[in-house]
Amino acid sequence: MGAKILVLAEHEGGAIREITWELLGLAHRLAGEAGWNAAEIKALILGQGVEGPAGEIAGRGAAEVIYGEGPALRNYTGDGYDRAIEAIVKSEAPEMLLIGHTPDGWDVAPLISAGLGVPLATECSAIALQGGKARLTRKVFNGKFVQEIDLGDARPLLATVQKGAAAPFAGRTQGQVRKVTAAVGDADLRARFVEVKKGEAGAVDLTQASVIVSGGRGLGGAEKFSVVRALAEALGGQVGASRPVTDMGWLPHEHQIGSSGVTVSPKLYIACGISGAIQHIVGMRGSGYIVAINKDAEAPIFGVADVGVVGDLFEVLPALTKAIKEAKGQA
Amino acid sequence: MKGLVLVKQVPNTDSPFRLNAAATWVDEANLTFGLNDYDRYALEELLRLKDAGKVTEVVVLTVGPERAATALRTCLATGADRAIHVKDDALQGSDPLSLARVIHAAVKDEGFSLILAGLQADDDNHGQMGGLLARLMDRPCASAALSLALQEGGVIRVERELENNRLQVVDLTLPAVITVQTGINEPRYASLKGIMAAKKKEIRTVGLKDLGLDAGQVGGKAARLKTLRLAPPPKGKGAEMLQGPADKVAQEILRRIREKTGVV
Repeated sequence: MGAKILVLAEHEGGAIREITWELLGLAHRLAGEAGWNAAEIKALILGQGVEGPAGEIAGRGAAEVIYGEGPALRNYTGDGYDRAIEAIVKSEAPEMLLIGHTPDGWDVAPLISAGLGVPLATECSAIALQGGKARLTRKVFNGKFVQEIDLGDARPLLATVQKGAAAPFAGRTQGQVRKVTAAVGDADLRARFVEVKKGEAGAVDLTQASVIVSGGRGLGGAEKFSVVRALAEALGGQVGASRPVTDMGWLPHEHQIGSSGVTVSPKLYIACGISGAIQHIVGMRGSGYIVAINKDAEAPIFGVADVGVVGDLFEVLPALTKAIKEAKGQA
Repeated sequence: MKGLVLVKQVPNTDSPFRLNAAATWVDEANLTFGLNDYDRYALEELLRLKDAGKVTEVVVLTVGPERAATALRTCLATGADRAIHVKDDALQGSDPLSLARVIHAAVKDEGFSLILAGLQADDDNHGQMGGLLARLMDRPCASAALSLALQEGGVIRVERELENNRLQVVDLTLPAVITVQTGINEPRYASLKGIMAAKKKEIRTVGLKDLGLDAGQVGGKAARLKTLRLAPPPKGKGAEMLQGPADKVAQEILRRIREKTGVV
């Protein structure tokens, strides 16, 4: 039996990435909405020597795990993955192909889109199936608006799904693993994996901080960060930043919080002059308590914050720093 | 070796954004436009290869309405050698895949060894064009580059941004397509001399007919990815908003921090 929904699994060092369970959770929900049999939910895993992870997925969400095996797939390359995936998708002819919106998922999905000649919806935060039509929700203008789209009669429906958009599949399945030889040989690759390495090393480890005070573009310049630093110091916390701040060199890269920086979950997170692009929000929404201060009342950051102030950073932050110092008896 | 940068003109992020009457996109009337931020980094990367004597010609290409020529002019003033402007009313409403087919038609006979693009555009946030074009041209692709270096033997080494401050190093055989992440370099600005020189540089404008394409197959009419509606983001639970003078607001925040977090 062919697949109705095919999910691309991601793995590293023998461990399944969390996004895989989320995609399987989404697949089970969508199959329910569409009236498809759970036996038609399949996963695709590519690699070499990953029988263990393949079996794990068969036990948790997939009725069948198609294991594309070969030396060309030992490490991720867009070239190798694309060709292996296209061959399997053509033989399975699924209604839907779900891929994680991860660095590798986002890298390979456009290749598959052009190779199969079907449109792609990236970074979806929600997918619904209604009367045979898919309605996909994603962000545009860096989170200022959400966009609902459909993909017409294209099959498979092809989407990359944001992390955290669906609850991970928590049930048990007794699926099978079917090994297929990769449709791409090592000698065919025009992209060669070299290594995965750490980015520039830094002295700051924001992942362990219990308080983070972050500044964004709204501060207006590197020298203006003193108000953020003073508040962080008063709270005994660390200084974080959004991507524009580190791109412009106001702070080193190691301070960057978000999808391309670090993911943090302090007890207290104070966002100062950060509008709240999705790339930033995914890196901090796990924080215990979120305070946002921004001059723009429409800033998306207020959607995830617990408490918000529309106001001037250079008035509110010094006032808050003073109040905290007084409360600690340091003033 | 010839290089191409795909660029896009997008609304400036500090523009006043309002929805259009049909709530299918933003109302362009209130917006100011500029070169997509990611594309500035892509252009800079190719200009550096030219400065180093490794690339002989830097070409920029955009698909867009009349106003998009301004973005090309910016690229020319910054140092690009010539520009291609694909402009056709029938392209309004195109989806990324059909735009990639149009770009493919415009560049396939140019013999570009290296094609760069920004990782995504700040308006539609699709982040697909580099990969789509690479696959249509049957070339390897790497996305979110934070470093590029030409190697011996027609290979380019790319460091791709992964999560948690890690990089994947991958070697692509040229010709190749690479999308560039912001922060890869410090983009230069156009000099006065560059602005003057740009006036003499060529912007070639081409329509679908010039590319031998049929509006029924690639333009807005052929789009399968369609916007149903745009809306402000859901507020979620939404923040409790505090108002008043800074001192009073500060006390209110402090009280909540004490109650909810215990860090003070």
